[in-house]
Amino acid sequence: MPNTALLQIEKLKIGFPAKDGGEVTIVDGVSLAVNHGEIVGLVGESGSGKSMLALASMGLVPRPGRITAGSIKLLGEETVGLPDRRMQDLRGGTIGMVFQDPMTGLNPVRTIGSLLSESVRRHQRVGRDRASEIAEAALTSVGIPAAHERLSVYPHQLSGGLRQRAMIALALVNDPAVIIADEPTTALDTTIQAQILDLLRAKLVAAGGILITHDLGVAAEICDRLAVIYHGRLVETGPTADLLSAPRHPYTEGLLRAIPRFDRSRPRLVPIPGQPPAPSMDRGACSFRPRCDYATDACAKAPALTPDGASRSVACWAPIGAPVLERRA
Amino acid sequence: MNVWTTIRGVLSKRGLELAILLFAISTLLFFLLRLSGDPAAVLAGEEADPDLVALIRQRYGLDDPLIVQYVRYVLSILTLDFGESLRGGQEALILVLQRLASTLLLAFLALIVTAAISVPLGAWLGVKPDAKTRKWVNGIVFIFQGIPGYIVGLLLIQLFVVELRWLTSIGNQGVTSWILPSLTLASFLAPKMVRVVAANVSEAMREDYIRTARANGASTADVLWRHALPNALLGATALIGTQFAFLMSGSLITEWIFAWPGFGLLLVQSVEQLDFPVVQAAVFVIAGLVFVVNAGTDVVFRLIDPRLRRQQA
Amino acid sequence: MTAQTETTSPVRSLLPRLRIWPRAGSGNGMTIVGTVIVLCFAIATIGVLIWPPAEAYTGNLMERWKAPLEDGSVLGTDQLGRSLLWRVAAGMPWSLGIAFTAAVIAMTLGTAAGLLAAWSPGPIRRVVQHLVDTVIAFPSLVLAVTVIALLGRGFWPLAATLGLATWPIAARVVYAEAMSISKRDYVMAARLAGVGTTTILITHVLPALRPTLLVMFAFTFADMLIAESALSFLGIGVPLTAPSWGNMLSESREYLVEAPQQMLVPATAIVLAVVAFNLIGDGVAAKARSRSRAVE
Repeated sequence: MPNTALLQIEKLKIGFPAKDGGEVTIVDGVSLAVNHGEIVGLVGESGSGKSMLALASMGLVPRPGRITAGSIKLLGEETVGLPDRRMQDLRGGTIGMVFQDPMTGLNPVRTIGSLLSESVRRHQRVGRDRASEIAEAALTSVGIPAAHERLSVYPHQLSGGLRQRAMIALALVNDPAVIIADEPTTALDTTIQAQILDLLRAKLVAAGGILITHDLGVAAEICDRLAVIYHGRLVETGPTADLLSAPRHPYTEGLLRAIPRFDRSRPRLVPIPGQPPAPSMDRGACSFRPRCDYATDACAKAPALTPDGASRSVACWAPIGAPVLERRA
Repeated sequence: MNVWTTIRGVLSKRGLELAILLFAISTLLFFLLRLSGDPAAVLAGEEADPDLVALIRQRYGLDDPLIVQYVRYVLSILTLDFGESLRGGQEALILVLQRLASTLLLAFLALIVTAAISVPLGAWLGVKPDAKTRKWVNGIVFIFQGIPGYIVGLLLIQLFVVELRWLTSIGNQGVTSWILPSLTLASFLAPKMVRVVAANVSEAMREDYIRTARANGASTADVLWRHALPNALLGATALIGTQFAFLMSGSLITEWIFAWPGFGLLLVQSVEQLDFPVVQAAVFVIAGLVFVVNAGTDVVFRLIDPRLRRQQA
Repeated sequence: MTAQTETTSPVRSLLPRLRIWPRAGSGNGMTIVGTVIVLCFAIATIGVLIWPPAEAYTGNLMERWKAPLEDGSVLGTDQLGRSLLWRVAAGMPWSLGIAFTAAVIAMTLGTAAGLLAAWSPGPIRRVVQHLVDTVIAFPSLVLAVTVIALLGRGFWPLAATLGLATWPIAARVVYAEAMSISKRDYVMAARLAGVGTTTILITHVLPALRPTLLVMFAFTFADMLIAESALSFLGIGVPLTAPSWGNMLSESREYLVEAPQQMLVPATAIVLAVVAFNLIGDGVAAKARSRSRAVE
């Protein structure tokens, strides 16, 4: 149902100029859709291109990088190549983003209230007082107590958890249709992480959202669907439960094995051997091949992301386990 | 936030520094004057009448033991009694204080010029991504930084007074005579300021909170004016406090070039005429002024900058 | 500069390090250009010291105020018909010599004080820091003018006064740098291995300080050159008959209408020398930065 998707990314490519005059591809032909009421988890190691994908959705690919091919449709509107003015209207209005580090992500010399009000007045035709009311309501809705007093407070006067709540309030203050959360809990204490995840689940489900994380455990908690990204390409997508119980791609399996779990007896954590590939590495062969236990000669050619059953897809010549289709037959 | 606690804290710390400084300077002056020969002869001037020298010696108690002289000297300084000018006979401190307004006017004008140059130019340099333009402007700022202020002053006179005959270069004779001195004094500070503002802005533009602002739809201008510049300028304006001493040094030269009737000019003239009471009073007044400005900016920044407020708490 | 001083002056903690800003050229190119200019000045200075040019002091009134390149004069002549080229050359031992001596004094004292503060217990450190803060807070030119008024004009009074007025700046930079070096892993490792403080200072800290000292020296030299000519310009520097660049500028003020070259020639010399030293300073700093980035 591509027409109803809130955010529809098609065959997106993002490149950065290389030193030798060529171009390094950071994101290579990624397609991803977010529907209403759905939380999609984008999982990958650092450098896999997952944050770049998020920034591209916001129209914020940092210079000198650029989108070299593909399309991003937000509520059906093509945003690639959109004039700055229009994109600015969408950012914070139609699509909001929660960043990783609430310590550095909030302007230290501006009060929480002024940041929120600025965003409200940027996107809604309201007066100063009304904007302030909306800001206060946003703070209350993310569970910040004494919201009215907090409006006149500077970011550093809040604890890390409250600051991340304020960051979420800032992303949500104009009720965007799509919310992207980029590692929203990574910088927080473990005890706070669960609270923030609960909050995010409630907020993201009300709209549609992407949760970007390197932590499959975090993704498992709140996401409906997962997309695993490796070396700028999606290697496996599917419903969270299916993907976790029966990973098809060796990389997904490797990520799963590297999660500490208490509900299952497992002798030890198994790290994925080797290093994540540099973005500039050649893409002719399967990028995961050097680290893969199951690699065969076929892997000298990069596999495409192909449907694997009704709701899943995987990019591997020899997916783990019996192919779902055969089993059903 | 408690304003008075802040002010008290700053004053007690800075006040101690000022006290030490003034004590050190007065002691230095006292001994240098006696090291450099017979102070009476110095005070009387070259080729002075021996009777005059004897008179001065008696009047200033220069025949007493050194330690007695020193104690008397320190006591008189403590009561702000610097003596009378050897040339006009006026009270030295009064003479200096009369020049205060002129010097402050000049410093104020120079700060305005500096801000008018360095904020837009610095902001532009800080955000301008075009490497080639930046390279050129950087180069020009770099060379300007190598041009001492007094040369800027001379060049300005050469251009506007000698060649174009647009402006006057002597004294304080109304607004048109303010232009060249304030430009000259600003040239001491402006290149440094441009670099600081540019560095601060480009540093701020890379901060996470700028990305947050963009993600909330802030326009390019809003990002610069409402998010990057407030951060950048707080740091850069704090520089004014620490650079005020430098500004006073520049004022000395600027006043000399343009015969601007501030206490810098008075100091240079008094030095040439070996009018020590006035020299001493001028040094003390300048030290006091630097103290007031430094303490003032300290207090103001502790009050307005949220980050500093946190440090304090 | 560090946690210690930040508590005494929090405003300063917000200041960026003035010179850190990606500069136009590459570090190497800037350093080379600067060094070539400085070498030319140095050779000329030595030459002038060995063969003092009489042309700098004697002139023919008939030949006064020649424009540059007029009648075989290279840079023109002054109000007494003396060659400006030779006067600028004869001024080098004064202007550059005083700047060099003052910079050496300031750097030596500053390095010693900075290291002392960095490696001594709290009370001594606080005394040094207070001293540094206090002297920096005072207009150095005012101090210099006053002291020279008492000591009299001349090479040594000027060099000593400028050096004594400037050392706290070097002390502050050296202190900050030494503190950051002393927190590096290899210094900690040496300490844990039982290496003595003095040995660490000599084998680890001083070598690591070298780029900083070099940069500081270049900038200090430039500042001293400006200060020296400023004082001479005020008539409170070198003896009035000496052809220092500041004195030449000071004389030129009366003849701006008749002979602008009298102002422009020494002004160009000063700017050229200052820019050359700034180039070296910025170039070395840029290189040190890129090297430390490469290590990271």
